[in-house]
Amino acid sequence: MISRVAEHCFWLSRYLERAENTARVLEVNRTVLLDLEAPIDQQWRPLLIISGVHDMPGEPDGERVQHYLTWEAANLSSVVSSLSAARENARIIREVVSADMWERLNYYHLWLQGPTAHGLYENNRSEFYNQIKRINQLVHGIAEGTMSHGEAWEFFRLGKYLERACQTARILDVKYHILLPTTQQVGTPVDQAHWVAILASCSGYEPYHKQRAAPPEPSVSVADFLIYDPLFPRSVRYCLRECCAAARAISGRPGDPVEQAVQDLSDWLDAKGVEELIQEGLHESLTHVVDSVHGVGDAVDRTYFDVGPQTPPAPAPAGAAPPKEAAAPCQCAAAG
Amino acid sequence: MLVQSQQAGRQAQSMDGQAAPLFAGYRPHATAWDELFAEAGRPHSHTRLIVERLGRLLPAEFQLRRASADLAFVNQGVTFSVYSDRRGVEKIFPFDLVPRPIAAAEWQAVEAGLLQRIHALNLFLHDVYHERRILREGVVPEELVVKSKCYRPEMMGFDPPGGQYIHVVGTDLVRDEKGQFLVLEDNGRCPSGVSYVLENRVVMKKVFPELFQHCRVRRVEDYPHRLRDALCSVAPIGAGDPPCVVVLSPGPYNSAYFEHSFLARHMGIELVLGQDLFVHDDKVFLKTTRGPQKVDVIYRRVDDDFLDPKAFRSDSLLGVPGLFGAYRAGNVTLANAVGTGVADDKAIYPFVENMIRFYLSEEPLLHNVPTYICARPNDRAYVLQHLHELVVKAANESGGYGMLMGPFASAKERSDFKEKITHDPRNYIAQPLVTLSACPTWTEEGPAPRHVDLRPYIVSGRSTWVLPGGLTRTALVKGSLVVNSSQGGGSKDTWVMEAKN
Repeated sequence: MISRVAEHCFWLSRYLERAENTARVLEVNRTVLLDLEAPIDQQWRPLLIISGVHDMPGEPDGERVQHYLTWEAANLSSVVSSLSAARENARIIREVVSADMWERLNYYHLWLQGPTAHGLYENNRSEFYNQIKRINQLVHGIAEGTMSHGEAWEFFRLGKYLERACQTARILDVKYHILLPTTQQVGTPVDQAHWVAILASCSGYEPYHKQRAAPPEPSVSVADFLIYDPLFPRSVRYCLRECCAAARAISGRPGDPVEQAVQDLSDWLDAKGVEELIQEGLHESLTHVVDSVHGVGDAVDRTYFDVGPQTPPAPAPAGAAPPKEAAAPCQCAAAG
Repeated sequence: MLVQSQQAGRQAQSMDGQAAPLFAGYRPHATAWDELFAEAGRPHSHTRLIVERLGRLLPAEFQLRRASADLAFVNQGVTFSVYSDRRGVEKIFPFDLVPRPIAAAEWQAVEAGLLQRIHALNLFLHDVYHERRILREGVVPEELVVKSKCYRPEMMGFDPPGGQYIHVVGTDLVRDEKGQFLVLEDNGRCPSGVSYVLENRVVMKKVFPELFQHCRVRRVEDYPHRLRDALCSVAPIGAGDPPCVVVLSPGPYNSAYFEHSFLARHMGIELVLGQDLFVHDDKVFLKTTRGPQKVDVIYRRVDDDFLDPKAFRSDSLLGVPGLFGAYRAGNVTLANAVGTGVADDKAIYPFVENMIRFYLSEEPLLHNVPTYICARPNDRAYVLQHLHELVVKAANESGGYGMLMGPFASAKERSDFKEKITHDPRNYIAQPLVTLSACPTWTEEGPAPRHVDLRPYIVSGRSTWVLPGGLTRTALVKGSLVVNSSQGGGSKDTWVMEAKN
């Protein structure tokens, strides 16, 4: 497929996933704070840090941070910015996304600009963030059921799981930034409540409990679950495996630079195990995960999008068969 | 079931006289031809069924359908952007739910006229860029052709693949007061609007399924398929099988981007921007995730000027360097061909009827609006003296820009145009004001006559096909004769009725 179009597919998916996860982080923080008397400065600033925001004007109080991460157009990672970037990517490649998908995406884009969404935000914040989460779930569900599962779909899948791997790491990192007042509180009911909230924000509460009945050390166990669980669809390991599969499907051969980059991160995680990650500092380990995911993104960019002046097929000697790539019929034409 | 309960409700309401059905208070325009009514309360024979069915609706019911149609357009993002607006601002093209019907037999005549006209225009283009017989024999003044902004000397002696120059034409027609169709202008470069024809139909079928069941209307949905076949049929020698066809768009900020994307989607082909293509060894390639891929046919929606910075405007960022060279080498088909603008130049337009006589030895079936050519001294003198009753158009402008509506213009505007015409007469033509036909259109005061035109689309590959109907554009302001979307006009679904057996 056209490199530029692949790039739009990839980012459409990433922005959608990002909007969902921003809503998840905001919601988990609200929930955590219900049970915790934290210094004002520690309550909401961590969210700015994990969202990579360093220049929000004004004091980071709850309403301001939530507004900034939800509505602020100048903040490129706000929910509204992510969704409008997703919609703009979709608009540019409407010939690739399915009509049903576009229609919903456009509907929610308009919904966010209208009074209904703002009213919901003011009056029922939890439901508002739920609704935001549902946009991605819905659009991905529609995509799954209406879009051909070809190359465009694989870029879509790659973007989704790459972003999600990164976001799960960020959500887990919230726990690092919201410091417990004293180390004695580790393992107390307040600490427990935090871990429950983290799990819930990843929709992992029930899957976690089905697997691990009353673990002794929730801090280790939850981190293990969210990083290493092989079946839970938001765990870093699961996401990386999906990325690998998508990268393989795109390149059609093992070991291309994208798959390699994903594999490197996977191998690094496998070599460590959760205890070692915690020992070395969970925050540092999660930062490594986030950075490595960015590295994968760069590999995708180099390999497929920013192809620059491509090497044209070698001119065929007179009478010889034309070069293979040039002779291959256009995918589009072959499909019709 | 829904319709039945609505009928019941309506009867009850009508009986106590609280609300009148849709067209009860409609009064046709005093002088314009009315597309639905022969006279107040009496529909044309081909519109009787439509008027009867649609007329059963109460204004409130009609409003409901209207709201659901608008919602469908908004949700589907069927939008265009206007140049004067900030970049990226999207608007819906206002849509009116009252269809504009055309009788079967009348359409047959229009269709024959269009086929004849397009045939002659194509022969004209070939002639201009080859023997120039028509210029040598003085039928069309040579100076008008070679001084046209759209004339491309680079095309001299070149044969476009399949011998086709104007693969897609949108010919603007109007009806005069007698109901006769006249050609207002030919759009032979990158005519737009066909996506609205198709989207309007989708929405109309959703909103008025019962109308379509009772009134047999000819399908428009085949357009993308016809266009694709036409484009494939003129692929260059050595093209793939099937040929690789792409739509080339200037990009997402272009006002017609929605349409470019729409056509790519419905033809099942790639939508590309200039940056996606490159030329190597006079062949055009697409940059893909799996390396370069040869392109055979480009349905380009980029103007000649911007197509290739090496051949035309060197500051163009939209184009593909070397594309024109690949075209001249016969390795890629461009649709429409380069240099077709010389045939739809408003200064050449007055000569199309004579082209038909010259090339086909036939009488034109469709006539032009009488036109004064300011380049001719006698015409110019007349125009300058009668500006208050003429419509003056700049030869190379479209979309309602660069136009003077004499009867409605201020003295200042008229004197400005006087100066412009005197300064550059070649660039202006003038026509008497045609009172365009009117069609009932929903307004805040209920249905009222609003002026309409018609842009049929003609697709040519190895053969030529006319889309039944076309885009009916409608002025939304009372009395306005300007229907362009960029000037606040709207559109209607055009219904070519099926012939009765």
